[in-house]
Amino acid sequence: MRWLKQLVTRQGIYNDLSEEIEQHLAEKTEALMAEGMSREDAERAARREFGNVTRIHERGREAWMWPLAESLWADMKFAFRQLTKSPGFALTAILTIALGIGATTAIFSLVNAVLLRPLPFPEQDRLMWLSLQDHSLPGVVPQSVSYPDYFDWRAQNHTFESMASYARSPVILQQDGDAQRMDAQVVSSNFFQLLGVAPMLGRDFNLQDEKPGNRAVMLSYALWQSNFGGSKNIVGKTIQMDDEKFVVAGVMPRGFQFPLENPGPALWKSIADDADGTSPKTVQRGFNVLAVIGRLKTGATLDQARADMNLVAGNLAREYPDNDKQFSSALVEPELAHMTGDVRPALRILFGAVTLMLLIVCANVAGLLLARGSRRHAEFALRAAIGASRTAIVRQLLVESVTLSVCGGAAGVALAYGLVQAAERLMPLDIPRMNRASIDGSVLLFDLAVSLVAGIAFGLLPALRMARSTPAQALREGSRTVAGVRGQNRLHNGLVIAQTAIGMVLLIGSGLLVRSFIRIVNVDPGFDSKHVLTMRAGVSFLKMQHDQHFLFYQQMLARIAAVPGVGSASAGWPLPMNSSNVTVSFNIQGRPMAKGDEPSESLGVIMPGYFETMRTPLIAGRTFDERDGLKGPATIVINQAFAKKYFPHENPLGQHIQVRVGDDVFNSPMREVVGVVGDIKRKGLTAEADPQYYLPFAQAVITNPYMVIRTNVDPMSVQGAVAAAIHELDKSVPLYQVSTMDEIISKSTAQPRFQTFLLTGFAAIALVLAAIGLYGLLSYIVVQRTLEIGLRMALGAQRRDVLGMIVKRGFMLALLGVAAGLAASAMLTRLMATMLFRVHPFDPLTFAVTSALLLVVGVAASSVPAYRAAQMDPMKTLREQ
Amino acid sequence: MAFSKKTEQRDLFRGALEMMILRSVLREPMHGYALVQHIKQRSNELLQVEEGSLYPALQRLLREGLVQAEWEISASNRRVRTYRITSAGKKHLEHEISSFERMLEGISLVLSPNES
Repeated sequence: MRWLKQLVTRQGIYNDLSEEIEQHLAEKTEALMAEGMSREDAERAARREFGNVTRIHERGREAWMWPLAESLWADMKFAFRQLTKSPGFALTAILTIALGIGATTAIFSLVNAVLLRPLPFPEQDRLMWLSLQDHSLPGVVPQSVSYPDYFDWRAQNHTFESMASYARSPVILQQDGDAQRMDAQVVSSNFFQLLGVAPMLGRDFNLQDEKPGNRAVMLSYALWQSNFGGSKNIVGKTIQMDDEKFVVAGVMPRGFQFPLENPGPALWKSIADDADGTSPKTVQRGFNVLAVIGRLKTGATLDQARADMNLVAGNLAREYPDNDKQFSSALVEPELAHMTGDVRPALRILFGAVTLMLLIVCANVAGLLLARGSRRHAEFALRAAIGASRTAIVRQLLVESVTLSVCGGAAGVALAYGLVQAAERLMPLDIPRMNRASIDGSVLLFDLAVSLVAGIAFGLLPALRMARSTPAQALREGSRTVAGVRGQNRLHNGLVIAQTAIGMVLLIGSGLLVRSFIRIVNVDPGFDSKHVLTMRAGVSFLKMQHDQHFLFYQQMLARIAAVPGVGSASAGWPLPMNSSNVTVSFNIQGRPMAKGDEPSESLGVIMPGYFETMRTPLIAGRTFDERDGLKGPATIVINQAFAKKYFPHENPLGQHIQVRVGDDVFNSPMREVVGVVGDIKRKGLTAEADPQYYLPFAQAVITNPYMVIRTNVDPMSVQGAVAAAIHELDKSVPLYQVSTMDEIISKSTAQPRFQTFLLTGFAAIALVLAAIGLYGLLSYIVVQRTLEIGLRMALGAQRRDVLGMIVKRGFMLALLGVAAGLAASAMLTRLMATMLFRVHPFDPLTFAVTSALLLVVGVAASSVPAYRAAQMDPMKTLREQ
Repeated sequence: MAFSKKTEQRDLFRGALEMMILRSVLREPMHGYALVQHIKQRSNELLQVEEGSLYPALQRLLREGLVQAEWEISASNRRVRTYRITSAGKKHLEHEISSFERMLEGISLVLSPNES
């Protein structure tokens, strides 16, 4: 509390000081007048002898200020002067630090945006993601929830304040004769209230909106602005979507969306839509399409919620074994953890890698400081001689290094800003919230903290080293020495070895990722992606019934196939590498199964010519053709994985399978297996191909399929002609999700590409820094040992002996670094096993090539100073000493 | 600002002025003006201490509790602030003098022309 007392009494102290000074001047003036001076002269002389009154006041007051801050300020001013005196050194060090801190800050801003920032909803830690657990498969397998299950969950649980459902459900918005496809969600009436966000205009959904016959819609701010001119009168008005009329309930505030994937939906429909019809989705317990989110009751814990939900799900499984037998428990996870679960390990690895890079930067700058310190020996010896304590010298050096690192950190912020911007533009990634990465307060704080820690980290060892030498010894060493300072060189060697070792770890990590990435892009996806254009057409299910729908597609594909440049055209759903997927249960003739035990696999629905257009090989039998039309016999095509799993010892052709899909799910026909096709990587290149079966679109019109169009020219170039051909048939059909198959594949590998790109970047920087570190040390040694080298040459050593001596030194350092790096890598690479595809964490090739690379770089970095040493003229050198 | 620069150059080392002040007020309590005259006299006018530079030093000593100050009326009927050394000040002075002597020894060793 002393400082508080001081603060209060300080004004009194200053007043005393002022009065004292006035008295002093008066006494002095009187004394001078007594010697015979005039009053005027005496006053002037008194002031002159006293000195600058203002300045004295200032210094008197300074005595009462915080002494450490005061001397730190002095040290900092001195540090700045020191740095501006050697701008080359300062610039090199600051740029190196900026690189390290900038990269670290950039990655941190990603980590911060994606993993750390709370969800933008009130009391977001109570928001839980919920799902069914599928026990028919090994491991944790989440399964979407059906409406009846959701309604039961909502009614029967005891730990959630509320529970809401949401599902994607794109719509076609019809406005002024124009049709636009929109992303939309079907949500339960308590969805917005659960998230804690109220509409900015109009009313929230209520239970009435869930009843069949009602049509309520909530608009997003963006859609309200773009399509309705932001008019406040929109509430209560009717808009047309999918040939139906919806009443606008309200408008959500700007930026609201959930989940946080991009882009957000344009509007939200109430679930009344799904409650309509003869066999509404809301009563089908097997129709698992919903995602569920819950808000925990205040005070309820995650464990309680899990126990509660397992009980509820277990009861439902017993009550409805036909549909829920394998879903006897539920998964509950905090929403934030669930959302970021997939990218968490990758971001951790990247953050680890960038931290290693920062360590190299620190070691590098420490080396620079050591070399510079040896040139300042005399300066510190003199300071020690005139009474500077060891602590004072260490403090001064630390202030210098922290000043450097804070300058570097400031430049690093600029670099991080650029990197984040570039990452966003160059790497379109589907990582939730990544596009919100920015340099905000917490990122700046992180940057500052890293700068301070780094400054102390790389400054401390050199500073302690400098302060250790005694004045007498140091002053004596001011003259040239033959052997150099042993201890200091040992430290410097250690730093160089550490840099090489860490660089080795990064290089091996990036090498493994590169190898893995090459393996990924060389995976055969099961089709030929080149020259394939895909798009979807928004054909209304209300306007065209089942048969018309199919006939429309038939005509449309015929017209597309006739467009110049188009080879063939077909359609199918789902498209490979696409997250949309439906598994449907089935049974095989002759293998009766209880209803809840029926196997279930992925369903595909395709038009004739699909496999031919995609160039997926036919293994046996035939593919679909005009025989498999509306009136034809019920048929099915299976893939190889399906055949292997269900017909391992018999010919699958001619077998019969009953699939519960179509208009009359309870009376589905037995389908004959007419063909076996090659496996298509449905989930992505790195996933194993799973069993899949295909039905003819004519016999299972369930959704708008993706059109696949093989071209002889650049696929994007026929896009306009294809659209024109479709609109000739029907002008009101909107086209969407236009893309080439190559783009779709490339997007599916975006994350591994991003990781590989970044880690390789870090490793490249690390390699350069390690080389610079080695080069710097050897150059320094050559200068330090100039006399010795000159003597050796005078005594008959050949130039190549000198060359060999220095290169050998560099090689030995690199070798030690490589050895240490190998050991460290062996421990660390297993952490990235989940990021690797068909590459072992101890991949011997990667380890060998990286070691060789580092040794070569080591020799290359040593050869320049070695060559310089060998070029010395011995006579000149000795004379100069 | 030329004045202050010169003063700083004339300061032999940090703490020298404080030492001289402590030594002076140990002999007898004095006020600022008297202290300046005393130090000038004792050093045979060799040390041309800028008179004002005494006051920051006095403030530092006050802060550290090495001296105490009180307003009094002087013999010449003037209101003056008189400084007295405290027991902590006495101890500090002893310590400073001995370490100063050791330092002098060190410097003379380093500066001596015949290196051993």
